Amino acid sequence: MTATSEPGPMGEGRQQLRPGLWATVNERYPGSMITKRDLVPLAPLGKPLSECRLTFVSTSGVQAKGSVPFDTVHPVGDYSFRRVPSASRVDELEIHQLKYPTADAHRDLNVIFPIERLQELAAEGVIGGLTEHFFTFIGYNMDPERLERTLAEDIAAAVSDEGADIALAAPA
Amino acid sequence: MSLQYLKEAAAAGDGEKLIRYVRLHFGDGSEDAGRREIDKGWIQALLPLLDVPSTDRAFILETLRTRDTATLAHLYFHLHFHFVQRSGEWIHDGDL
Repeated sequence: MTATSEPGPMGEGRQQLRPGLWATVNERYPGSMITKRDLVPLAPLGKPLSECRLTFVSTSGVQAKGSVPFDTVHPVGDYSFRRVPSASRVDELEIHQLKYPTADAHRDLNVIFPIERLQELAAEGVIGGLTEHFFTFIGYNMDPERLERTLAEDIAAAVSDEGADIALAAPA
Repeated sequence: MSLQYLKEAAAAGDGEKLIRYVRLHFGDGSEDAGRREIDKGWIQALLPLLDVPSTDRAFILETLRTRDTATLAHLYFHLHFHFVQRSGEWIHDGDL
């Protein structure tokens, strides 16, 4: 989990939507709060959105049915990710994630994993298209350095390999 | 808790910090809920054995003999959550 104490290039440090959350997290999970100062600045968009191939990176734990479930029980976390075909239908997907409420997502997966909305935006030409896969993992990871060194790097490489121009990143 | 926090606790032999972490894990951030969840798992493990049914003890012994400690420890967490789920009382927000 990360927090910053001063505004950064991406607006970090602004008022949190739930200002008490960080303090609560640190009280309940001592040592889990880390501070990031070496942030990567936003890259300016090099071409119109309608020509950009978009990928989606999500901590929702959404994955294709039949793929190996995320490890929600491991005490230190799961540092793997799943490739979710961006052409998937909602009924081909399922959620393996223990740490956020999933009741609404089971009624409409788009509230946490807006795959149909993104498919619509691509079909309407608002965005240039979608990468072949989206990328998901779970946010329960107690080793931030390992997360950054392995999982984040692995996903970044996979995103690059699929020729994404822009990435939509959404925490669950 | 970060992994570093847990490793420091392990190095210092601070079992209270370690078990507190396990309780928080099972209780989704509530130590009291975690205690109840751990107890619930044990109760659910006890109930199927009360009538002394036949069990696959060969499988158990083979597993314990042939699998490494980390795999067995991982299995231990899986079994705990499995039996908690079998209780029918699921306090967690999400899904296994």
